Parts: sequence; structure tokens; C-alpha cells
Amino acid sequence: MTPRAAMRTTLRAAAEFLAWWTGLAVLWLILISAVGPLELAVGATVAALGALAARAARRAVTGR
Amino acid sequence: MADAVIIVALLLVAAAATTAVLVRDPVRQALVLAVLGVLLAVLFTTLQAPDVGLSQLAVGSALTPLLLLLTVRKVRRRGRKEGPRR
Amino acid sequence: MNGWILAATVALGAGAGATLWGVATGPLRRRVVAQNLSTALACLVLLLLAQGYDRPSYVDLALVLALLGPVGTLVFARLLADDLAEDPPRAWGPTYLVVGAGAAVVTALCVATGPSRASAKLLVVGALLIGGNVVASRALSGGFSGLRRG
Repeated sequence: MTPRAAMRTTLRAAAEFLAWWTGLAVLWLILISAVGPLELAVGATVAALGALAARAARRAVTGR
Repeated sequence: MADAVIIVALLLVAAAATTAVLVRDPVRQALVLAVLGVLLAVLFTTLQAPDVGLSQLAVGSALTPLLLLLTVRKVRRRGRKEGPRR
Repeated sequence: MNGWILAATVALGAGAGATLWGVATGPLRRRVVAQNLSTALACLVLLLLAQGYDRPSYVDLALVLALLGPVGTLVFARLLADDLAEDPPRAWGPTYLVVGAGAAVVTALCVATGPSRASAKLLVVGALLIGGNVVASRALSGGFSGLRRG
């Protein structure tokens, strides 16, 4: 794999992670009852974990 | 008058539970049980117990029918394998 | 007793009564459709009750039911696939009726709540309810049978 292709793969993975993270964080913000700093921190962490899991699941389904 | 919704929910739960007893086929019984679980959750909500309703929903709407249907499937398979002995 | 609870009572009595009758009698294909519709109807009743009792946290029940109801129907669609393949249910009429009722109820609740995070949550519940119901109906009528075999 050339360095250019490797970089493109990394960029694409980062973009996918970011898209999942944004969607999950927004969902968290909608579903909680009161917004506070602690809620935001927990939401960001959980959304990151969820984004990793979602990307793994998407790759397992499409097989790439 | 404010209790009308509780009465309606109670009547529906009673009817669903009676139906679940009267239906004989286990597969159809699983279907009636799924409806009964959802109706019980509505009844708990009208009685101002949403936490109980939440756990009832989790168990009654998907888990109980799944367990019942898996059991029915296993029993049927075993019956087919052993053939006419049973 | 306000209008929301009255609407919930009517929907529960008429709708759940009808689905209970449908699930108790008739051929298997009608029973699975009635079970699917009963979860959607109960979800709407829970939404109306949450507004009627003025307890926004009760919306969580409707959210859980909107998620788990289609899951339960998919359990039936998967495990009764052999029985349903000979005699597949075709019930798009009632499905679209319930989907329309769901859209109407969610719209009315959103108007009553006003634009806020609560109404966004209601919209999420409505989208889950409608999408889940359409997917479950399609699975029941054998729409995913090719996927299952492959």
C-alpha cells in the first residue's frame, strides 16, 4: 500500500467515526432529561464507544 | 370519570389473560401473551407505576415470546427426529 | 380527565380491543399482523398518556416500546417463517392506518409541546415507531426471505 492510499484509508475511517459520533451524541442530547457538564462528558464518552462499535458492526456486515 | 382509562385497561388485561388461557396451541398462545404483556405495561402506566411498566415491557413484548417459540421449536424438532415412537 | 387521556382511553378501548380480537381468532397470518399492530397502538396510547398526565418522563416507555415492539414481531417473523411462507400475511391497509395515526398523534403532541428538546424526542419516538412498523410488516409478508436464505 502506498503512503498516499494508507493516508486516504485513515482519513476515511476518521470521517466515518466522526459521523457516527456526531449522530450518537445528538441522540444522547435529545434523550437525556437535563443538560449539564457531567451529562455532556458521559455522553461524549459513550458516543465514542458506540461509534467504535457501530463502525465495527458496519465493517462486519459489508465485509470490508 | 378520571378512572375510565384504568377501567378500560383492566378490562382489556382481563380479556387478554382469559384468551391466553383458552387458546390451546402454544404458538398462538405466545402471540396472545405478547399482547397481554404490552397491555399490562399500559395498565401499570395508568396506575402511575412507569418503572414497573418499563420492566414489564422489556420482558413481555420480546423476551417471553422468544423463549416460548424457541421451546416450541426444540420440542417439535425432537418429536420429528424420534419419529412415530411418540 | 383531559382531552389527551380521553383520546388515550378511546384509542385503547377501540384499537386494543380490535387487535385483541384479531389475535384471538382467525388464521395465523391475521394473528401476527394483529400482534404487530397492538404494539404500535400501545405505543401511541403511552405517548398520549404521558401528555395527559403531564409527565414528560413517561415518554421513555413509548420509546422502549417503539424499539422492542418491532423486535418482538421480527422474532415471530423469523421463528414462524415456515408456517407463514405457505400463507403470507398481506396487511398493508391496517399498517398504513396505524402509521398515519402515529404521524397524526406525534404531530399533535409536538404542536402541544412547542419546539424544544422534548419535541425532538417525540419526533425520534415517532420515527422509530413508523420505521419499525413498516420493517416489521415487510418482514411478516416475506419481504426479507431472500436475505434470510442467503
